[in-house]
Amino acid sequence: MALSQESFAWVADLVRRRSAIQLAGGKEYLVESRLLPLARDLTGGDVDAYVQRVRGGGHDGEHGRIVEALTTNETSWFRDSSPFTSLRTHVLPQLLSTRGSVAHLKVWSAACSTGQEPYSLAMTLTDALPPGASFEILATDLSEQVLTRARSGRYSQLEINRGLPAPLMVRHLTRVGAEWQISDGLRRTITFRAHNLLDPPPAGARFDIVFLRNVLIYFDAATKKAILDRVRRVLAPDGALVLGAAETTIGIDDSWQRVPVGTGSVYTPSRAGAAGGAPFGAPAGGPAGGPAGGPLAGGLPSPRVAPAATPAAALAGGPPGAASLAARAPLGRAVAAAGTAGSLLPRPRPAAAQPLVPGQSRPATTPRPVPAAASGAARGARPLPNASDRNPPGRSPFDRTTYDRPTPAATPVPPTRGAQR
Amino acid sequence: MRALVIDDSRTMRRIVAGNLQQLGFETYQAEHGQDALDLLDGGLEVDLCCIDWNMPVMDGLTFVSRVRADPRWRSVTLMMVTTESEQGQIVRALAAGAHEYLIKPFTPDALRDKLEFLGLTAPAWTVEEPA
Amino acid sequence: MSTAVDTEQVYAVAAAVFAAMIDGDEGLLTPWYGDLPLVEEPLSAWVDLHGELPGRAALVCEAATAHDLTRALLMMEADEEVDDQDLVDAFGEIANVVGGNVKSLLPVQDTLGLPEVAHGHPPAAEGHVAQELRLSWRGQLIVVTIWLVG
Repeated sequence: MALSQESFAWVADLVRRRSAIQLAGGKEYLVESRLLPLARDLTGGDVDAYVQRVRGGGHDGEHGRIVEALTTNETSWFRDSSPFTSLRTHVLPQLLSTRGSVAHLKVWSAACSTGQEPYSLAMTLTDALPPGASFEILATDLSEQVLTRARSGRYSQLEINRGLPAPLMVRHLTRVGAEWQISDGLRRTITFRAHNLLDPPPAGARFDIVFLRNVLIYFDAATKKAILDRVRRVLAPDGALVLGAAETTIGIDDSWQRVPVGTGSVYTPSRAGAAGGAPFGAPAGGPAGGPAGGPLAGGLPSPRVAPAATPAAALAGGPPGAASLAARAPLGRAVAAAGTAGSLLPRPRPAAAQPLVPGQSRPATTPRPVPAAASGAARGARPLPNASDRNPPGRSPFDRTTYDRPTPAATPVPPTRGAQR
Repeated sequence: MRALVIDDSRTMRRIVAGNLQQLGFETYQAEHGQDALDLLDGGLEVDLCCIDWNMPVMDGLTFVSRVRADPRWRSVTLMMVTTESEQGQIVRALAAGAHEYLIKPFTPDALRDKLEFLGLTAPAWTVEEPA
Repeated sequence: MSTAVDTEQVYAVAAAVFAAMIDGDEGLLTPWYGDLPLVEEPLSAWVDLHGELPGRAALVCEAATAHDLTRALLMMEADEEVDDQDLVDAFGEIANVVGGNVKSLLPVQDTLGLPEVAHGHPPAAEGHVAQELRLSWRGQLIVVTIWLVG
């Protein structure tokens, strides 16, 4: 039975309350196709009956499943790009400058979702750290489900397309069937662990850098302050905290100092900044992401740092033949231009998810719905749905049978494609 | 910003050009590599070329090599937009001088991400400093 | 039967093509459950793979479905008339993107032909049917067939 308006409205309200995602009218078909796998377990595939059963009570566990089926965090590689540029051009040079040298760096990627952020951090640090320096990343998330995906380092083609520069992609990932696999070398630098930001921070470590992006927005002011307080306790006094573009400590927790870096900001514990100026003060050399090799404050010991961080140079040491790419692919210009033009402004996602089809626009909120079934299949995370009870026993809908067809007498549709061009 | 969209499929040209226009680009179109070279030779100045790989007359890889070999077009950013998605093909295109590589199918967000990283999109808005 | 491409991979390719290019959202292309309807006015689109492992990737559906796909791709209104030129180009481009991505699943580097569109079911290619996926796009049947030699 088709989804009634009443059931749709109830689901839309549930999702809006739990995730701030608006499901506009006209999305009935989408809701129906996403809830179908859930309905199969409970009501034999009748989505409307399923929603009514859940509404009737006694199935509260299903609420979470419904919200999850209709939402997921939008994740892209090098999301907003500015924080990664800041890391390279300011945070690392400052740490090197105040400490003299850095042998080993500890980074915490909090609320890491499906792993794009910690892997992007690992790619950045691999190129930006001076020779001999090593790093480790602790990546945490509340959800074991996303951690399992993140740990596997396996991504679909559509996920790979989102913001991962091609030179880094061919260097750090390998194509496996329809998907892409992160290299073992990169995976070894990251430990994935379940952690709730409302619990005490991960023990036993003092972090030099913490990325905590696009998660505070979900909490009230008191909880934000409590989380920031816990983060400060595990951050080195000269360490740096990076928040999402729409987030700030200002007005929430005054024990942080906001340091403008390029077009964005990093935050540092205020007491550390009291003596000798801000640890992450603006560099002498100009805006963030300025031309590679510019006079960075406290200059990095190796000329490798700035240029190697550009995608072209990042190819050096990649697959066979890649070294020559570094010399030939003129990427440095484009990346340097990006910095000087100041166009790597951090910002919340603009309401720019331009849909290909009118009337299917998504809300301007960052989370973006992905159906559990389709995304699972796309990643090979779970098998394709098995035969429904409407199919003969044991037959998958994809079992090949002779397709009932008339004699194949293909006749061209005028005009033929070649002719029209 | 100006972009030249090079693809033998009218459908794909319309999709790519439409997305670029949403991002504020002025767009031009060419049906294959030779068509595009002729436009550039004729004095068309662009910041970006979005290039399909498989096209009649002149394919995208040849076009990239030809543009890279000519100092007049040194400042043009070249991005492949193609279904070719074997790792070896991507490495080949980068070696020939392409700056970026977007695999079809792609979402409008993916195109914007790539252009943002290349510094070719103006930020939609900036974060206001809290009072 | 060849194991060069498996069912889930082909499904992943088709699902990604529809999510990114046609629907703007995932989840609207699903396996077809239940009995297959007879396709009364079939329209097909295909591209050929040339090289070491030649083959063909084809789609077939009702002409009305192909018109709907064309409207979705070209951002046309639901009641707008689709002319043959748009139909051939848009429907052919879907086969082209599916075929290009299927090609990258193969262990060898082949080249891709230009897409073709015709009334009727897709002409059988050389080799065997390596995959045949029956899919539902918003309740309409679309069959994706992959032929491979070897």
